[in-house]
Amino acid sequence: MTGAPDAVELRPKLVGQRVRRTEDPRLLAGAGRYVDDLTPPGALHVAIRRSDQPHARIRGIGATEALALPGVVAVFDARDLEGMIRPAIPASRMAGYHATPIWPLARGTVRYVGEPVVAVLAESRYVAEDALELVAIDYEPLPFAIRAADAAADGAPLLHEDAGTNVIIAREFARGDVDAVFRDAPVIVGGRFRMTRKTAVAMENRSYLAAWDRGRAALTLHSSTNIPGIIRDVLAGCLELPGNRLRVVAPDVGGSFGGKGSLYQEEMLVAALARRLERPVKFTSDRLEDLSATSQAFDEVIEAELALDAEGMLLGLRAEVTGDIGAYSIYPWTGALEPVQVASFLPGPYRLAHYRGRVRGVLTPKPPTGPYRGVGRPSSTFAMERLIDMAARKLGMDPMEIRRRNLVTAPEFPYRTASGIVWDRSAFQECLAAACDHADYPALLRARDAARAAGRWVGIGLASYAELTGIGSRISVAPGMPINTGTETAAIRIDATGAVTAAFGIASHGQGLETTLAQVIADELGCRMEDVEVQHGDSALLPASSGTYASRSAVLAGGAATLSARVVKAKLLRAAAHLMDVPAEALEASGGIIRARSSNTSMSFQEVAQAVYAGMGRIPREQREELTASETYDPYLGTAGSATHLAMVEIDPGTYGVTVTRYVVAEDCGRIINPLIVDGQVQGGVAQGIGAALLEEVVHDDDGQCVTASLADYLVPIATGMPEIGIVHVEAVLPATLGGFRGMGEGGTIGAPAAIANAVADALSPLGIEVDTLPVTPDRIFRMVEAARLRNPGQRTGA
Amino acid sequence: MKPAPFDYLRAESVAHAVQSLADAGGDGKVIAGGQSLMPMMNFRLVKPSLLVDINHIPDLAGIRQQGGRLGIGALVRHRTTAADPVIARHVPVLHAAMRHVAHLTVRNRGTFCGSVCHADPAAEMPMIALLLDGTVQTATPRGGRRLPARDFFLGPLMTALEPDELVTEIEMDTLPADTGWGFEEFARRHGDYALAAVAVTVDRQDGRAAGPRIAVMGVGDRPMRMPEAEAALDGSDMGEAAIDAAVEALRATIAPNADLHASADYRRHLAGVLAGRALRGAWTRARERLAA
Repeated sequence: MTGAPDAVELRPKLVGQRVRRTEDPRLLAGAGRYVDDLTPPGALHVAIRRSDQPHARIRGIGATEALALPGVVAVFDARDLEGMIRPAIPASRMAGYHATPIWPLARGTVRYVGEPVVAVLAESRYVAEDALELVAIDYEPLPFAIRAADAAADGAPLLHEDAGTNVIIAREFARGDVDAVFRDAPVIVGGRFRMTRKTAVAMENRSYLAAWDRGRAALTLHSSTNIPGIIRDVLAGCLELPGNRLRVVAPDVGGSFGGKGSLYQEEMLVAALARRLERPVKFTSDRLEDLSATSQAFDEVIEAELALDAEGMLLGLRAEVTGDIGAYSIYPWTGALEPVQVASFLPGPYRLAHYRGRVRGVLTPKPPTGPYRGVGRPSSTFAMERLIDMAARKLGMDPMEIRRRNLVTAPEFPYRTASGIVWDRSAFQECLAAACDHADYPALLRARDAARAAGRWVGIGLASYAELTGIGSRISVAPGMPINTGTETAAIRIDATGAVTAAFGIASHGQGLETTLAQVIADELGCRMEDVEVQHGDSALLPASSGTYASRSAVLAGGAATLSARVVKAKLLRAAAHLMDVPAEALEASGGIIRARSSNTSMSFQEVAQAVYAGMGRIPREQREELTASETYDPYLGTAGSATHLAMVEIDPGTYGVTVTRYVVAEDCGRIINPLIVDGQVQGGVAQGIGAALLEEVVHDDDGQCVTASLADYLVPIATGMPEIGIVHVEAVLPATLGGFRGMGEGGTIGAPAAIANAVADALSPLGIEVDTLPVTPDRIFRMVEAARLRNPGQRTGA
Repeated sequence: MKPAPFDYLRAESVAHAVQSLADAGGDGKVIAGGQSLMPMMNFRLVKPSLLVDINHIPDLAGIRQQGGRLGIGALVRHRTTAADPVIARHVPVLHAAMRHVAHLTVRNRGTFCGSVCHADPAAEMPMIALLLDGTVQTATPRGGRRLPARDFFLGPLMTALEPDELVTEIEMDTLPADTGWGFEEFARRHGDYALAAVAVTVDRQDGRAAGPRIAVMGVGDRPMRMPEAEAALDGSDMGEAAIDAAVEALRATIAPNADLHASADYRRHLAGVLAGRALRGAWTRARERLAA
């Protein structure tokens, strides 16, 4: 940085201010541009016939009738695609892992209901769907095991013969001597926790448009993805196209929550077909397809036990995690992403010496699981926080007190967890205290007890967690994944008009990164926010990029923005120094104006830029520098984000409906770039987490059919059902990341399921009921209450 | 999720509409609000060859009160039903039910009569028509019919309507000011199809229940009246014992289905809980009926 520190302090900073999102005027006024808004002339529309079988051999496909329908241009199945495209292989260095290849359409065998089998291309989607009904597919049903426990058993029918097993992932984390600890532990609690399958339900369905430029022999794919760089790289291999003739653009994207964060068969399909047919090919999934063929989430059973001493100090934890990963390993994250992180994050933010976590990932005939906001941690936090509360109850200890005793404290950082994750430093204890302060925890307990005395079913739940955000190149985002997600580049330039353009490899899809990155850049450069144009979501912007996921963009792109902006600013000031005939050290910039501290002279960015680029000879040849920089930031490790959530619920003792009456989040995301956006992320995340806790569940019946393939059956939370959420930002000690930022986009979904589960369990505790399955629906509460009534016939259990 | 091809016809009159339905040979569908029909067409669960749009037929959008009856025309939107002061005053149980009908955008288009004709076993309007001894007024090319609501619902999404029959109005009892009423519904989310709902009316004569009516929905293949529970209450003092007896009678009568959202046992439990609440609420609202 140039300039004296005091001068910097005087400058009004944008970072830290509640700046309104610059995206919103565009998105809210209908001026956004999503993939489905793009329909080039001559575009063909794809409709996909999907498998209605969970596991079957394809004996034959008849498309004659479909092809005869006016408006139908072509019908493709896997045989027609041979030689047009190579499969994507979700590789991993993980021992014992089997990568299942990904082809655009099912080749010979279908492995889940919803798997793409036949593509119809027509002049309109209507005609294409008419033709789908005329495609005849002859299946020979094959045996299958729809439940992970059955699929993992010896002798289970195999989904992928060449894997030789349905258990394609097995891993163990261990530290200390956990079995010895359990032999002598005074207090042991345990449970079999089940986080059911979810799906992301972004408002915009997945949409893809591929166009082949015959003259350039180049392909452009517009994709509703949050990883355009990764898609470009993998498709380059599949299609054998160099990166300068393959471009993947993510225009405005209407949410992902992880569901748009993997390679999809339909992306491969439209790309291959556009090249073959030399016409634009477009696929827009409908909600039915979104619910049955977008990557799904969680679906784990966690059998876990926690050992404590008589003072409530954690001694040991052991767990067996079984993840139902669906029919295929997903690219690039693999099916290990979700269940392995459950095992690695299970010890949570607690001091714990002895741990053993075993995890298996099991193939079943269901849609593949993939990233979903929170990845692994919503499940691990649910299980661990339930165990903590069960232990507190057994010890007669307050749930806040047991957490206070066991959360890692400031002097212990950096703390290496029993599974090997390093918490750099984060406000674990402070967040717990802040959440309880904000809610007036003692008063809340009194209110609960008074309500309980009056026969009402009221409960309070706490959940503390930590997550790893802003992960650098030292750590794979997914286990053993051979691609680098740990760096981010910002290419910043001041052009000849003095305007600033900053290009990134991230792909904002609702996070407001156009706003927050502009705040960072404007502060660093000393210009106005409106002078900065942030570009993202386009593989052509930078040599290499990946996208936005894993709570990385504020940390990595923010860091890269800072580095590049500093270089550009130094160049700008050197030019200005020459033009103004003062030393560069005597200059400072703010609001797009460069001033000399010692005199009245000043120049605007525009004047300096014009002099640099257009003013021949105004800057000597050997001193002239382009006002550009392209710096890369790698935080190497990651930084811990942490929070405590507090929920209060009331259960109707007749209907068993659960109402969330109070909700507080105290979180540490380091230095906050924009509190307005952080609050929005917390609120949205908590809403999604409440959905996971109370409403959302993808259900496959015993025949392998998805019975939740509409929004009447897959229930997402709605605005009117949301509580007021109190948010406390705790900025204890800033992390070592550039700018002091931590990632924070996923915390809501991590904390909320556990907090709600604990609150519901607390409300039901007079009946001796523990919550072990989410969502905890009225029907599940009914069954638990009925079972409790059988155990204790005398007890009054309802209205 | 695009509908199969169909023809569209804008009907100018009731006669035009029913003749067009007849000409479609059983393959026509009436569209008013389209809030149930269009999703089913987009899922291709129904593929009518002809859609007869009745939205431009005059004189079908009225709400009229006559004697002790209220008539709701075929084009009356849920939003209008919910906001109508006559309904709020004279059919308060219907007014209360409207709070549970879907969401604003659906209520803006969906119609009372359309919901009754759709005959979803977990929708409010069919149950209210049944509770209030409704009558369905229809038209066909051969003339009209008046179908009692109790004969109208044949099963899930099935009614006694002929393929060329158009419902023009549904009428039902208004409630005297001293009649007690209750409406209780439980859904996973507000505005969803109910897991169960119960609606009741009861008069109070000499401190005892007179002519109680109890209707339930969401616990069978169609909305149902509960004659056993009604009989258990008629003439009772509406004390806890009487209400418990009615609830037990109701639970013994119904045979709910299990589905994704609720087991049969939970639904039975829930219907009883809601019935108890609805009956207690109705009794607190009932005023002593003065001798005529």
